[in-house]
Amino acid sequence: MSSDRKDEEMICALTANERRALQRGLSELAETMPPRSVWHRIREQGEAEGLLRQSGPTSRRFWFGGTGLVAAALLVAIMLPGLIRPPADMGITVPQNLPTNTMEVSTLQTLMVQSRQLESDLRSLPDAPRVMRASTVATISDLEDRIAAIDYQLNGPDVNMTSDDRTLFWRERVRLMNSLLQLRYAQAQRAAF
Amino acid sequence: MSKFADIQIDPGIVKRAAKGDVRAHEIIYRAFSTPVYSICLRFTKVPAHAEDLVQETFIEVMRSIARFRGEAPLGSWIRRIAVSKALMFLRSAWTNRSQSLADDWHEVTEGAVGNHGVPGHTDDAMDLDAALASLPDVARTVVWLHDVEGFTHKEIAGLMGKTESFSKSQLSRAYLRLRPMLEVTENNTQPEGAVVRSY
Repeated sequence: MSSDRKDEEMICALTANERRALQRGLSELAETMPPRSVWHRIREQGEAEGLLRQSGPTSRRFWFGGTGLVAAALLVAIMLPGLIRPPADMGITVPQNLPTNTMEVSTLQTLMVQSRQLESDLRSLPDAPRVMRASTVATISDLEDRIAAIDYQLNGPDVNMTSDDRTLFWRERVRLMNSLLQLRYAQAQRAAF
Repeated sequence: MSKFADIQIDPGIVKRAAKGDVRAHEIIYRAFSTPVYSICLRFTKVPAHAEDLVQETFIEVMRSIARFRGEAPLGSWIRRIAVSKALMFLRSAWTNRSQSLADDWHEVTEGAVGNHGVPGHTDDAMDLDAALASLPDVARTVVWLHDVEGFTHKEIAGLMGKTESFSKSQLSRAYLRLRPMLEVTENNTQPEGAVVRSY
């Protein structure tokens, strides 16, 4: 590596300052987004080659059914102790998988709350400065685009999702919102000075 | 410096992608399509070619992600696929033109006498993007791989099927061409003294 560096110094034809400036300039060049149609082409080819699989059409029904079951179980758990007898005496058996489902719902709700909080934090920041680095604009735009893509997946009328999928997507949304907030916060701090 | 390294993906999404989950692949695509497209466009300069290379890259991701072990960041892995596809394309383009990798300086330099070697432009009218685009394909690719993506000369040589000296020579010639784009403030002792002219 040191000999590599020495060679570079001998041949690079630039001073150290010039090289740093060049590298900085190159890394700050704006990136370009591919046209929207490219993903559709990739998806079509992936499906044609059997590389992609879709989730089952009944997953949404499973999700709603699961939510209903959990809600009913929670209602029973809240109301029963104050009523007549303990569940065991009534012969009611609690399904073994309920805690897991409850945990999933809880995780999902936590992620939704986090996401809402991050959006609220984002709104509370001052407006973006008029002059921004091209690379910052590109990164912000990229994050927003990725969040929009996830929102589309979460809200699309023809999209079926399992609860695992939904949790995964919400987790990714929170992570991206977090990155966006940090970026906007750093930007706001820079603008303040 | 590379944008690829900054992008994080939940390991759960990678696992799902390995099983062929279309939504997981779409998330990965949304995360990396811009840097992949940008690098392909830098190398080929033709949007249609860059789009084809993006497609080839992500199809390769679909085919191979089950073998991705997560030892390196996903971004580095995808970047290597994209670079490999783009270089393969450039090699085929050079082959089609019956030229060797070293030849493409001639057609540029012959018409580039004066104006610090940049054809048809004055220094002030040209930005770094245009200067980079004015380089021959090989030199531009070497500059990008070395200075932005952080590849070593050894790695570049391996990717291009050439020697390290070839990579260094291409970089050196490219620097000479790009030098007029840089100005150093007089009496400057700080590392940030040299700046790229902004337009």
